[in-house]
Amino acid sequence: MMENRSDKKIIEITGVTKRFGSFVAVCDLNLDLYQGEFFSLLGPSGCGKTTALRIIAGFQDPDKGEIVIDGKSMRDVSANKRPTNMVFQSYAIFPHLNVGNNVAFGLRKSGISRSEIDDRVSEALEMVELDGLEKRSAEELSGGQRQRVALARALVLRPKVLLLDEPLSALDKKLRETMQLELRRLQRSIGITFVMVTHDQYEAMTMSDRIGVMFDGKLEQIDRPEDLYARPCSKDVASFIGGMNFLPASLKEESGNVLDISTPGFGDMRIEINSNVSKHGPKLLTGIRPEQLEISAKKPSDYDAMAQGKVVDVAFYGESIHYFVGLDGIDEPITVAVPNYFHTMDYQRGDTVWLGVQNASVIDLGEIPDNMKD
Amino acid sequence: MAIQLKSEASKGMALSAPATLYVGLLVAVPLGILIVYSFWTQSYVDIDRTLTWANYIEAFQDPLVRHLIVRTIIIAGLVTIATVVLAYPIAYFIAFRTKKQTLWLLLITIPFWSSYLLRVFSWKLILGFNGVLNSALMTIGIINEPLTFLLYNEIAVVLTLAHAWAPFAILPIYVSLQKIDRSLHEAATDLGCNMYQAFIRVTLPLTVPGIIAASLIIFIPTVGDYVTPALVGGSEGKMIANLIQVQFGAANNWPMGATLSLLSMLSVGFVAMLAVFTMNTAGRRIR
Repeated sequence: MMENRSDKKIIEITGVTKRFGSFVAVCDLNLDLYQGEFFSLLGPSGCGKTTALRIIAGFQDPDKGEIVIDGKSMRDVSANKRPTNMVFQSYAIFPHLNVGNNVAFGLRKSGISRSEIDDRVSEALEMVELDGLEKRSAEELSGGQRQRVALARALVLRPKVLLLDEPLSALDKKLRETMQLELRRLQRSIGITFVMVTHDQYEAMTMSDRIGVMFDGKLEQIDRPEDLYARPCSKDVASFIGGMNFLPASLKEESGNVLDISTPGFGDMRIEINSNVSKHGPKLLTGIRPEQLEISAKKPSDYDAMAQGKVVDVAFYGESIHYFVGLDGIDEPITVAVPNYFHTMDYQRGDTVWLGVQNASVIDLGEIPDNMKD
Repeated sequence: MAIQLKSEASKGMALSAPATLYVGLLVAVPLGILIVYSFWTQSYVDIDRTLTWANYIEAFQDPLVRHLIVRTIIIAGLVTIATVVLAYPIAYFIAFRTKKQTLWLLLITIPFWSSYLLRVFSWKLILGFNGVLNSALMTIGIINEPLTFLLYNEIAVVLTLAHAWAPFAILPIYVSLQKIDRSLHEAATDLGCNMYQAFIRVTLPLTVPGIIAASLIIFIPTVGDYVTPALVGGSEGKMIANLIQVQFGAANNWPMGATLSLLSMLSVGFVAMLAVFTMNTAGRRIR
């Protein structure tokens, strides 16, 4: 992926903590964001990502910690004075104003001439492909148009950082996919840092330069989408991003950056150490992405590890087919995703099949979490 | 499909029939009678049933009628403004600043648990020559003799009615505030407004419908009120309804009473429409 971020830090968040009563919404958040990058805060609902965004915007004060935007501490800077603008989840389009006046809202203050306001409004509307709709009333807008107005209204003020709170969640699937690419293109062309909050892993992966994954108020991992997918730092992150088969393993030997392990089902394997994982022990957790597994009727010859099992279920997804294969010694069936090349479902429930996997596809997820120990 | 539509329509008719009948019998018919009466004339104890503009001409020529209508509209306008201005902060508090909204709404209706007349009388007790306010001020030594400008004038009427109507203003304004999406206020802040600017540019224009509803609910009955002016208004605080009452009562001139009623209805309608138009335009001009 082409990157358009620079090395200049635009937001520095250090030690930010926010409590609501006894509930810790954000816990010791440390994060640097760079000029021109598209950053996503990803996590399940209630993980604190929206609170984090609202703290950056100034709608909420952190209990501890500091936020610096473009070199200036935001400690005593209220929301209306910050160089950030926000696209709200509900879009918050002013219902009593038409499109033009919605976009001009932030510009209408002393010092900006009427003609300059008009120019900037039409320029902003052009940017979101709503040119000429200045006079349209807010009530006549479709969901997609509302979102564009919200974007134009924020971008017309030329913020240092644009904050987006679940900007696409109110749109239907098709429009959402179009807008994902469009938002990305817009962000690249104007070069403003975007910080987006989302619970949708695909949205985060397709749009972002970097993703921060949050659970229970803590930032678990910050990485590029492809690294997050290939080297998740924990079981939580691994299962939140993409599908993952988890295999407990026992460590036989650790040498250099490789681990010799033994797994139920697939037997002995030699895998690479995941640099994002902090702790290794005699009991390990490993993961295999469903699309990295090969399924065949006969025993394959060119794979590092193989296992025989029985198909327990089949799910048809259109572009791919998922086979769920039960292996001896493993409780959960293994999911195998096969691209739907020839419009055929080759295996039925009850079929005996072979699974093959290469060592390089097996992800080291570190010491087995407590809740998975026997 | 057509049959179903027909039955839908008849169902609708059946549902609205009681209300239609009620309004027809108790509003339209009396109003018709009132209009007819206004074109008749009183000759001593009989009513002359020839249709004539005589009452209207007399009413227009009488400076007292003109004076009373203008004064009525001014007093009603003042009552409306005072009530809305006092009610808005309370409605705002209930809508945004408290979690015990039901309790507060209940508290606001408490004055209604006693009679309207009692409430007017209680203001008489508060504002009177030997009333609560004068006694209190004299006891703490701020004044030496009772203030006389408190009672029996327009101020007393405005004060009494503003108190009596308060819940009627608070409720519609509260409802319109309650409907405002909280994120709109945050959006205004995000776009550079301080609290005051966000209120003027977003909250206030969005509550214009509530303000208009409250104003009409207060303005119209105030014009027709004759109890409060009679009890606390003195001669300065008399309003058109008091004159109408006299026509139907002591003066025994029903046709003139009907004419004055219609004239006051027309002027109220005109002023109310003008006010609604002005408020709507003002609300739309705020950007």
